[in-house]
Amino acid sequence: MRTAFRGCLVLATLFGCSRQRPPERSLRLAIINDPIMNAPLSPDIGSVLINKIIFPGLVRPSDSLTPEPDLATRWTISADGRQYTFALRSGVAWHDGRPFSATDVKFTFDQILDPSSGTLQWSDFSVVDSVTIVDSLTVRFWLKSPLAPFLTLLGHNAGIIPAHAFQGRIADAVGFNRSRPIGTGPFQVVESVPGSYIVLTANLRYYGAKPGLDRIIFKIVPDVNAQVAQLQAGELDLATLEPANLRGLESDPELRIEHVSVPQHYYIGFNQGNPLFRSSAVRRALTLAINRQAIIDGVLRGFADYPQGTIPVALRDYFADSLPKIPYDTTAALALMAEAGWRRGADGGLQDHTGRPFAFTLLVDKGNPSREQTAVAVQQDLKKVGVAVTINTMEFASMVRDYVVPHRYEAYLVWWNTPLDPDQFSYYGSGQSNNDVVYSNRTADSLLTVGRATLDPAARRQAYLAFQAVEAIDPPVLVLYYPREIQVRRAGLRGLPPLGIRDAMRHSERLHFEPR
Amino acid sequence: MTRALLPLALLVLFAFGGPLVYHVDPTAIDLTLTVAGMSGAHPLGTDESGRDVLARLMSGGRVSLVVGLLAGVVAVAVGTAVGGLATARNPWLSVATSRLLDAAMAVPSFFILLVIVTLFGGSTTTLIAAIGLTAWMGIARLVRAESLSLRERDFVLAAQALGQPPPARFARHVLPHLVPTLIAAAGVGIAQAVLTESALSFLGLGIEPPMASWGNMLTGAQQNLGEAPWLALYPGLLIVLTVLAANTVGEQIQRRGGLHK
Amino acid sequence: MLAARLLQGLIVLWIVTTATFVLIHAAPGGPAVLADPKLSAVERAAIETQLGIDRPLPVQYLTWQSNVVRGNLGRSFLYQTPILETVLDRLPNTILLVALAVAVALLIAVPVGLYVGARPDSPIDRVVTVVNFTALAIPPFWFGIVALMVVAARWRLLPAGGMMTPGEEGSFVDRLRHLVLPVIVLALPISAELIRFTRAAVRSNRGAPHVTPAVARGLRSREVTGRHVFRNVLLPVLTVLGLQVPILVGGAAVTETVFAWPGMGRLGVEAALGRDYPLVMGIAVVVAATVVLANLLLDLAYGWADPRIRAGS
Repeated sequence: MRTAFRGCLVLATLFGCSRQRPPERSLRLAIINDPIMNAPLSPDIGSVLINKIIFPGLVRPSDSLTPEPDLATRWTISADGRQYTFALRSGVAWHDGRPFSATDVKFTFDQILDPSSGTLQWSDFSVVDSVTIVDSLTVRFWLKSPLAPFLTLLGHNAGIIPAHAFQGRIADAVGFNRSRPIGTGPFQVVESVPGSYIVLTANLRYYGAKPGLDRIIFKIVPDVNAQVAQLQAGELDLATLEPANLRGLESDPELRIEHVSVPQHYYIGFNQGNPLFRSSAVRRALTLAINRQAIIDGVLRGFADYPQGTIPVALRDYFADSLPKIPYDTTAALALMAEAGWRRGADGGLQDHTGRPFAFTLLVDKGNPSREQTAVAVQQDLKKVGVAVTINTMEFASMVRDYVVPHRYEAYLVWWNTPLDPDQFSYYGSGQSNNDVVYSNRTADSLLTVGRATLDPAARRQAYLAFQAVEAIDPPVLVLYYPREIQVRRAGLRGLPPLGIRDAMRHSERLHFEPR
Repeated sequence: MTRALLPLALLVLFAFGGPLVYHVDPTAIDLTLTVAGMSGAHPLGTDESGRDVLARLMSGGRVSLVVGLLAGVVAVAVGTAVGGLATARNPWLSVATSRLLDAAMAVPSFFILLVIVTLFGGSTTTLIAAIGLTAWMGIARLVRAESLSLRERDFVLAAQALGQPPPARFARHVLPHLVPTLIAAAGVGIAQAVLTESALSFLGLGIEPPMASWGNMLTGAQQNLGEAPWLALYPGLLIVLTVLAANTVGEQIQRRGGLHK
Repeated sequence: MLAARLLQGLIVLWIVTTATFVLIHAAPGGPAVLADPKLSAVERAAIETQLGIDRPLPVQYLTWQSNVVRGNLGRSFLYQTPILETVLDRLPNTILLVALAVAVALLIAVPVGLYVGARPDSPIDRVVTVVNFTALAIPPFWFGIVALMVVAARWRLLPAGGMMTPGEEGSFVDRLRHLVLPVIVLALPISAELIRFTRAAVRSNRGAPHVTPAVARGLRSREVTGRHVFRNVLLPVLTVLGLQVPILVGGAAVTETVFAWPGMGRLGVEAALGRDYPLVMGIAVVVAATVVLANLLLDLAYGWADPRIRAGS
């Protein structure tokens, strides 16, 4: 502080000093590139965050993760679970003053249900057959089959866009998408400077609680070091960072470091189309051979939860805390490997009866130090039980498109980032679209199907607890950890719900600064 | 001359000779001992994955020096050839080469470099080829400009009048005058290549971890700037020293070349 | 004459665009929008149709070329915006940054280069050489990050990146304060390189046939430099500057990324990493057109600086 003051005296004449604080009631947060401000099109995290503020959905996740009313005030579900009727909030106005109605909801979902509109949410709602307008403030969704996560999905990314603002494809509405979006949310866009920032001001017509901030400013800061510098310089108020970036911020009295569980699981996927990984004993053995605690402490600096299955602890009601956590047990791992026909050879490496060594290539995307370090830790852990891993680092897009999706790989290190729902049918159900590990287990299939179609929470819970018990015996993937999202906030910022930043932004009107 | 080469020789000795006396695996991680200070087991401490910094400086040095040296050589060789051809008296040859050169000069080569590196991955060979093949244009341009100027000089005009064929004329009368410039350019080229590799690492596209290069060590260290500035200091210092040494060699030779005029 | 030059320029542009097209389409992975493993086959197909990348490459190439001829550079995959508009949004910011850095570099380098070039091996020459080499040896991204961490984050003297403070768009001082660090970081290696070349050029020219007699006539060092060396020194300096234009855009890419500067270099990095084919090619076209124009001017400048080079030879 004293240094800063002296420096100021010296250079004040030249540059002045960045002493002046912005008005206390504006929040500045960082995203890494220009967003697309149109909810059904959101291609990246920056777009998702800003769209959650601009475009509320019919419902939103409450602090306890269950859907609560947003643009819809109440809803009824038919007995067969295939019709949802929503009563919409009356008197809601778009940012341009026009009234919000059922037409807008139908328009939004007509776009989402048409992949050629450019939407990235088609698969979330492919179960929806049609949306009909009952009256100007009532809409009905017709589902092809019951879908338990349906309400959660409505509160996830499906923000409602205004029918009157579009002629033709929503993807072509460049002016709307880049600089002049119109939503119904608590903040509205007033200025957009490409590559620099987007300024939102409080929406005086907002239907909910009065926004606690005057402005929210999304600054575009691509490099994480610059984000850290801006946090320290008092030019940013909120950013989500990786554990490795926190050094130097922990001691800053103006900043608070908070961490929350988010619905993510990091894992190593083994291609079970490959005979090497078909045996569940082999996959369990690999799972037991990883020292997860060392990875959580060493790589993630403790900002992760110890896993047991693919349903993360963030999904409180569905996480099976009664099941034992995956142990680190190399002896048991070797025993399982022996059961599957792999024994240590003269060089210490595992081999089958023909002398073929147990070896595979692990794909990892480049540019992310935590994942690269985790891959090396896995490589060293598996070496201890005689498994030879070659790491192949490559660009994420190439890894997904050229290797994972066409199933041309042996193993890869990735993660799933899910809505606040335990439905994992599309990831681990036999033959499903996102089942890139080619996992197939009849019991798991039926449990996932039940969990997906059952609306009763208690019955759903039973299905997912049983699924996690199946996973302990026949693991679909090698779960590594559940990361915690690290939010660095300016001290005095209040009102962020205890959710990941994506879901927290659904409650932006609650944000405020404590008066000094 | 030998004195100018000494720093570079020492750096080469450190990177290539070091492992003969210091046997520590540069890729072995120890998650229980990350960002540690100096100790008996780790004379220069450990990095963010608990890898031995000294061993990584040596293996990273081999990579950085080889990439820098070879990419610099590729750039100078291609640059001289293209620059020389562009001044040929044969109009077809010179025009075609000149347009090619203009085109290559007009592309923001850094983006091309990015595309090539994402295309073929960040292996040593790829980086040498990619950096070398996107850095020759400056040298070609220089060679063209200087030899255009040189060939109007009396001694070259005289050689032309005597009927010497163009390639011989270029080799005998133009090239020698270019040598100091070329060596200086080679120095800059090597220096540039080392720096380019570090810039690529900054963008996540350089030599891929767990393999070390001074560039990716420097990039990795920036996360720990507050807590462990030495992690940045070592590779940073070695990069600066290498670039300095390469430039000095160029400078010394150019100076000698300039004396006999 | 001018027509011939323009035709040459167009050929250059054609080579650039074709080469860029071939290169980027040879890359694996494809557009980043397709990288989401969550996408179903239906969505993948819809996106590919929408982007036009499901058609055969020759068709894509011809469509693209014919659109470019009509002034339509297509639409960005990442941002869903018209390329020309997107690039022209950013171009002025990069021009501002690069032009200021070059101006600063010239202001430092030419006087210093002329001065030390005329005094070979003097103590000041040695000092300048050491400073110079060090400046050339520091990785710019590293210098930028350290500047951010120290000057902006710790001392809070200057803003930690960005182009302006939201709400102070009109403020000249605010703009200037944001420019200081990136301009210094960008100008440092340019001025070091220019000093190098100016100095080397001065030296070789002082030994040149037209200068030696001047020295023999007893002209003082400053007069020799001013009257006989300056013009010949301009040639290499202009050459180096000419070379720098596309290199500077590349260098600017790193500086712009570090300082969150909304320039074209950073846009290019995003485009290359996100495999935004039309954007990468659009940037290549715009930069190439700028460089072709700059080279035209440079060739004219050569004619002025070295009368022995006649235009068209």
